[in-house]
Amino acid sequence: MSLKPPQDQTLLSARVSVRYAGKQPVLRDVEIEIRRGEVLGLVGQSGSGKSTLAMAILGLLDGKRAQAEGTITFQNSDLLQFSERELRALRGRAVSLVLQSPLASLNPALKIRTQLKEAWRAHASGTAADCATAIRASLASVSLPADDEFQRKYPSQMSVGQAQRVLIAMAIMHRPALLIADEATSALDVITQSEILALFRELNRSTGMAILYISHDLASVAGICDRIAILHQGAIVECGTAEQIFSHPKHEYTQRLMAALPRILLTNKESEPKTEAAVAR
Amino acid sequence: MNLWRKLACVILAVVLCASFAANWLAPAGYARQYREATNAAPSRTHWLGTDEIGRDRFARVLYGTRISLLLAPAAALLSTLMAAFIGGLAGYLGGVWARMAMAVTDLFLSLPWLFLLITARALMPLNVSPLISVLVTFLLLGLLGWTTAARVLCTTAGSLRSADFVRQARAAGVPGQRLFWIHVMPNLKPVLYAQFWISIPVFILSEANLGILGLGVAEPMPSWGSLLKELEGLVSLGDEPWKFVPLILLVLVVMSFQLLLSRHDEVAA
Amino acid sequence: MSGRQRMRGQMSKTCWKSIAVIVICVASFSPHVAAQAGGELKFCLRMEPKTFDPLKVEDEASAAIRYLTGGVLVRVNRQTQELEPELAQSWNVSKDGRQITFRLRSGVSFSDGTPFAAEDVAYTVQQLMDPALHSATGDAFRSGTGNVETKVISPTKISITFPAPVAGLDRLFDQVAILSERSSKKEMAVLGPFMLADYKPGATVLLKRNPNYWKTDEQGRKLPYLDSIRLDIQPNRDVEMLRFKRGELDLINSLDSEYFDKLAATSPQLVHDAGPSLDSEQLWFNEVAKAPIPGYKKNWFRSANFRRAISEAINREDLSRIVFHGHAQPALGPFSPANKFWFNNKLQPQTYSPDAALKALQTDGFRLENGVLKDKDGNEVVFSIVTNAGSKPRERMAVLIQDDLQKIGIHVNVVTLDFPSLIERMTQSFDYEAIILGLTNVDLDPNGEMNVWLSSSENHQWNPLQKVPETSWEAEIDRLMRAQAASTDSRRRKEAFDRVQEIAVEQQPFIFLINKNALSAVSTAVHGAAPVILSPQTFWNADRLTVAAK
Repeated sequence: MSLKPPQDQTLLSARVSVRYAGKQPVLRDVEIEIRRGEVLGLVGQSGSGKSTLAMAILGLLDGKRAQAEGTITFQNSDLLQFSERELRALRGRAVSLVLQSPLASLNPALKIRTQLKEAWRAHASGTAADCATAIRASLASVSLPADDEFQRKYPSQMSVGQAQRVLIAMAIMHRPALLIADEATSALDVITQSEILALFRELNRSTGMAILYISHDLASVAGICDRIAILHQGAIVECGTAEQIFSHPKHEYTQRLMAALPRILLTNKESEPKTEAAVAR
Repeated sequence: MNLWRKLACVILAVVLCASFAANWLAPAGYARQYREATNAAPSRTHWLGTDEIGRDRFARVLYGTRISLLLAPAAALLSTLMAAFIGGLAGYLGGVWARMAMAVTDLFLSLPWLFLLITARALMPLNVSPLISVLVTFLLLGLLGWTTAARVLCTTAGSLRSADFVRQARAAGVPGQRLFWIHVMPNLKPVLYAQFWISIPVFILSEANLGILGLGVAEPMPSWGSLLKELEGLVSLGDEPWKFVPLILLVLVVMSFQLLLSRHDEVAA
Repeated sequence: MSGRQRMRGQMSKTCWKSIAVIVICVASFSPHVAAQAGGELKFCLRMEPKTFDPLKVEDEASAAIRYLTGGVLVRVNRQTQELEPELAQSWNVSKDGRQITFRLRSGVSFSDGTPFAAEDVAYTVQQLMDPALHSATGDAFRSGTGNVETKVISPTKISITFPAPVAGLDRLFDQVAILSERSSKKEMAVLGPFMLADYKPGATVLLKRNPNYWKTDEQGRKLPYLDSIRLDIQPNRDVEMLRFKRGELDLINSLDSEYFDKLAATSPQLVHDAGPSLDSEQLWFNEVAKAPIPGYKKNWFRSANFRRAISEAINREDLSRIVFHGHAQPALGPFSPANKFWFNNKLQPQTYSPDAALKALQTDGFRLENGVLKDKDGNEVVFSIVTNAGSKPRERMAVLIQDDLQKIGIHVNVVTLDFPSLIERMTQSFDYEAIILGLTNVDLDPNGEMNVWLSSSENHQWNPLQKVPETSWEAEIDRLMRAQAASTDSRRRKEAFDRVQEIAVEQQPFIFLINKNALSAVSTAVHGAAPVILSPQTFWNADRLTVAAK
């Protein structure tokens, strides 16, 4: 909060409360800002309201029961005022999502080509050839084979890591300005996790898309995030650069999170990108 | 294509061709009564013998196949599509829609069908051709047979609505209609297949039983249902094995269809 | 439907059947061979008995129990069709047909020991004729308004006077089981060979020997021979057949031809074909003026020439041979030849000739064009024949007739309907063209058929409830039926009814198709059985049957 970015740098700024009918609010006046091209980590334990925030941004809150108040300004428009049609045009094109469990997030009954095609057709029109080109390009950009044989596979015929890459390929197909990764690596084994983290980082660098990286795991966030916001019991308790958070955690909850981290990571913090590389390659 | 599927293909092709070539294979037709040779055993003139009133069973099986093999799957398709549409859509939309659809389904299940069918028969003129009668019957079966499957589909589709891949697809901006058709429907396939395959023999038999209400195929036209009726009250199995031909044919055809189409389903699942 | 003649649906109602031509009576079955054997006779009732009160009987199961337990004054011998004395040693009907006097047997007691006397007969008749009881048996005696008078002349002599002559009065007492006036056990005190011992609703009725039964056999031994009769309530005929084959049942009272043949194929010694029964199957056209069918069709149906031609185009031999496997005879007219006294012997078998039928139709302006028969206005002759679903014989007859009529260019649509819908069309909406159903005669006497032949009756099926007879021949039948009913001279009654039968054959309002044979099955363990065509076919002589121990 001390780090207010210049107005034109802001991609998304939100000040939002979400409550479900007849219950305690899930998010209480959460204030968050994402700058263009940055990777913002959102850390909190499960039940803290992380995913609710992601869904609020995408307009995918359970419409009847959840009420969102406040503003979510994205590219100078308030998303909370958007109609369903406007939201649909936004999803997948300007803001996209990658969910936690890659196998559950792909439709088991469809070939991945079909799913990628659907994602493409949601925001583009063109010939079958245009579509095929776009699919190949996005598969290539997540380092997956782009050949027909691979495209004909069903999700059940792939590894978890491959499935997660397919999801990312779907998410970046239309070059969104913001990608929300909701626990996108939590279900993966350590090696795959670091590979996917590296992929996110690289996509962030090469395309300049901002990433809202949501995780319960401070350690995994640390490696790729420019700034980190700590969400605790529906409110942002602390926000700052990764370094600030790690070296001078202010809030008592952040301190507890830090205390829970394995020591080795903390001591190696400076050389962390290298560590990551060593693990990944 | 494995051996079984080839076999299924051959069986279906033979059955279909034979039924369409009935005019040539059994030129005397299904209604001709050989009154001097009733209840006859198979012979050179009557390959499958004759029925109680001396009609050539082979001809009746061929013509009956033509009727049932076209109409039963058509009715099954109709009921399956209705179940998919009503149950699937309501489940996918959830909330009020699901409750409404379930209320309609409950209503349908609790309606006194017997009386409605009797009324349906009463509304039809007595002088209808056998073909119209059987068409109407299968249409009714198709229009009425969707309810139980719709309930299952509604629940299944309801759980799919909150599935991660549906959420993921929505987040990718896939519009609602396509979500339903592309993402929800294919996952209802197993239920739909089951509904379809169960419906075929059920409809074939229901058609025969509706004869009690004056619906169904009318004499002298044959259907598998009316041919299967011959097996009613058959005391011993061994004496007249040729009487089982319609039953064997029904089992063969349903199995062949299943073999042929379920492979595709297996890969998908 | 009320009245003594009824349309038969899935279930056949009680009917008397008399022996016709063939009596199967195997010599070794004579009663004294195993007279002392006793034992228990077991068979099935196809329905739950609705009552044990003999005066209220309307259903077949109750009638069977009444037959086995009730003592009657006179009995129609099911074999000879003659009236024989029972509790009455003799009787006498007055000239005017209004009064009957019985001389009763003495020394007879009810099953509970209460002595039997003329007061009991008076009591029974008064109960029977009480309008509040709505007794179907009593209805048969109601010929005019007024009270029935009973006069006890002595303990063994009674005369009963009716307000108007009752035709065939003495035979009607076959159905009247005498109740005790004084017994505290009411209708459970009986005079017949057996008495009710146990009743488990839905399961069994157990009858035990009546120790006080008055009859003895020729050797002076007390009847009945049997110790008991167990009646299982079993509506399913497949189960009945299965249990019979296993030896759990001793007899099947009426079989259809299919079961008969199946059983005959394996065990010919068990089946009995007693020859044609009184039951008939017939086809009729809708002649109701206000029926919701096209006028030109009504014109066909109301033409005797058309009906005769249809009748002539039907191959009745094939119907009985193919549909009933030979266990039926082509019908000659309204009464079966099995009805020895009343059948008109002059009736000739209906000829089968499609050519003659076509010729007859051509004289009426019908013509055959490319195999299609058209009437004089060019309407194609197409009509539907309705019958009740589930009756295989009727469905098959319809299909054979369909094929027969196709030969003279008539297209028939066969429609099977559930019985209630069929009855609704037949009696309420009159929305039908032709129907095939059966008639069960409850009575050998033509009086039992009054409700069919009188044009004002609701069971005058082809055109019921006419205020005045619409045709001269119906008027004549009305007159003849009334004349025979009013007369007590059996010769004149016979003359009148012979004429009715002739008119019926000329006009063909009912196109009588066949008379079914009475088919039954009796285990070889049963001795003394002699199945007949009158109900109860197999156990009419139950008091003289024995069952060998297995």
